[in-house]
Amino acid sequence: MSTFSGLNTATTALWAQRRGLDVTGQNIANVNTVGYSRQRVDLQAMGGNTVPAFFSVSHAVGGGVSADDVERIRDAFLEARAQQEHATSSRLTAEADALGQIEQALREPGDTGIQALLTEMWAGWEDVGNNPHEEPARGQLLERLDTLAGGLRSARASLDQQWDQTRENLQTLLIDVNNAVAAVAELNQAIQRATASGLPANELADRRDTLVLELAATIGATGRAGSDGTVDVVVGGITLVAGSTATRVGLAGATESGGVGSDAPRIVTVPGGATMRSGGTAEGQLAALVDIVPEYQQRLDALAAGIAAALNSAHAEGYGLDGAPGGAIFGGGASGTDPVTAANITLLVTDPRRVAASKVPGGALDGSHADAIAQLRLQPTGPDVSYRRLVVELGVQTSVVERNLGIQAVITAQVDASRESVAGVNLDEEMTNMLSFQHAYSAAGRLVTAIDETLDQLINRTGLVGR
Amino acid sequence: MRITQRAVALSSLQGLNRNLDAVGRLQQQLTSGRMISTPSDSPTGTNWAMQTRADQASVAQQARNISDGKAWVGAADSALMTMLETTRRVRDLAVQGLNTGSMSPAGAEAIALEVTNLRDSLLGLANQTLGGRPLFGGVTAGRSAYDAAGGWVGTDGAPVQRRISDTEVVRIDITGPEAFGPPGDDLFAVVGRIADDVTTDPAALAADLEDLDVAIDRMLTALADVGARSARIEHAEQVNTDRSLTLATQLSEIEGVDLPRTIMELEMQKVGYEAALAATAKALQPTLLDFLR
Repeated sequence: MSTFSGLNTATTALWAQRRGLDVTGQNIANVNTVGYSRQRVDLQAMGGNTVPAFFSVSHAVGGGVSADDVERIRDAFLEARAQQEHATSSRLTAEADALGQIEQALREPGDTGIQALLTEMWAGWEDVGNNPHEEPARGQLLERLDTLAGGLRSARASLDQQWDQTRENLQTLLIDVNNAVAAVAELNQAIQRATASGLPANELADRRDTLVLELAATIGATGRAGSDGTVDVVVGGITLVAGSTATRVGLAGATESGGVGSDAPRIVTVPGGATMRSGGTAEGQLAALVDIVPEYQQRLDALAAGIAAALNSAHAEGYGLDGAPGGAIFGGGASGTDPVTAANITLLVTDPRRVAASKVPGGALDGSHADAIAQLRLQPTGPDVSYRRLVVELGVQTSVVERNLGIQAVITAQVDASRESVAGVNLDEEMTNMLSFQHAYSAAGRLVTAIDETLDQLINRTGLVGR
Repeated sequence: MRITQRAVALSSLQGLNRNLDAVGRLQQQLTSGRMISTPSDSPTGTNWAMQTRADQASVAQQARNISDGKAWVGAADSALMTMLETTRRVRDLAVQGLNTGSMSPAGAEAIALEVTNLRDSLLGLANQTLGGRPLFGGVTAGRSAYDAAGGWVGTDGAPVQRRISDTEVVRIDITGPEAFGPPGDDLFAVVGRIADDVTTDPAALAADLEDLDVAIDRMLTALADVGARSARIEHAEQVNTDRSLTLATQLSEIEGVDLPRTIMELEMQKVGYEAALAATAKALQPTLLDFLR
């Protein structure tokens, strides 16, 4: 036991309690910081000599306290769960947004959607049936047919626009992902260097974990612990960040909605072109690009083709005002020869006298054929029924996704609450810790004074006999 | 479980958000007056609402058809009744002409002249138009059913019909041949023969009177037919009005918002929101700092 070992112990005590106060101060300063996990100083008692030997034996007591390690309190399993739940939540949000936009494009139930246009068209046919000799009634019918075609075209156009916008948003999202991935790689490098030389890198680790959670929400990434405190970022089996190397991602595939069938949009790694199975918002937007919007585009096309086919075949059996048989009403494109889709459905009849209202050839004023056409609205396989089915299935799909989103929001909130409970800063706890460190510091100071007095006794007052 | 200040703040925020979300939804329902604003609010309700709207439009169209049909049938009815009056006058004149004993040639001339004039007026009534189409002309595209000489120029291949409900059409016209007889041997031919026979061959007037009676019976049958159709159309009108009322009620039940209930829910939600605000204020304030020196 050396002379000044007691002082040494007191010094380590002072230093350790002050470090504890520093860490408490850091926690209090960051109580409201998003993504901060509380830190705790790891006090280790330093023991005496426990190695047996023959000659250099000392019976010294322990040598003080060591406060080198400051550890970050965070539950890795909860983090992994949070990444999963945030990814699912973002994906469902993106899908619900896409479906909600489609609902707004169709505007049903209401008085301005395609259902209202169909109803007015059938009413127009009945008016012509009542007054086959009146050109104004026929002209009004042609107007209503044109409006119906225009309504179908504009609904399809808004779906096309939604597809283009979603693709643009996805590209912007991937730019953000690339930036975040590069930042994670840089942070990994800094953390690796700090950990290798024994310096604490807790704040850098917090920032990196926040970025990884963001990546989980945007692209469905998961974090995997690597060596030296680094975290590798993995998306669908492909490693985006391995230590300090980062891989970029990009969007490949069709650039317009028509090409989805042959070349579906997908997320690929930029140098390699390997497709990744993503999650999160990117997956939701991809689902909108590949499944949701094209499905409703095709169904609208089928509806337009059905309307054109039904009206054309029914119209061909009647006769116009001049006795001529009725021709095709709707055709595809300006020439009328392309297959009819919702994007190119056009009205081919422009002369009101050619509207075939009569079942009797030769120019008689019979309106029964127009009435028969108007009754097509009651057909169980007719346009009205198929349109209603489209709208109802859209409603069901949207309400299912919204309900799932609601449930997922509750789950995500619970996981976040658990994470906060482990890693969050409780001010009451910090206050109490501060009190303990304060008292310990004053006690260590007293210890210094006590040892100083004993040494003073030893140095200044021993061996002074007779002076 | 360890609770931190931030956890309390977050959960208070989430609760307030949920409350405000409910308030916002109720307010949107009240201001728009509709419970269903998108198909996802209620897919089955959307289906009903769309079907009801389509039915409402067709019922309104059928109401228009019914009033148009009523006009036609009413016009045919009054035309036939007037023509019946005129024909009875012709019959009286014919009976008078049959009585050759007490008539002078000048009298016969006078009767012949009047009968001719009555024939012209009968032709005029038979050529009445409604909305630009001859009433008794069938589906002709021309302007009259009978020409000046009394020949039939209408087209009687197809009936003129109006749809009075989803499943019924009713015929609203009656063609000249159906009401007055086959061309060549119809009412006007008989009256013309009477006008000739009064001066030339009074004995043939007896046979002419029989023909005239046949024509009168035919017109009475036509009148009964028109009357029956008119009754059917009126009955359909009543059914149509009832149905449009039922559909409007149905639509408001599916889509419309229940005002008293929604206003009460909004009030309750507001009270809940205010309570949550007060609780948040009380829970977030005290910490250990207040109690330490």
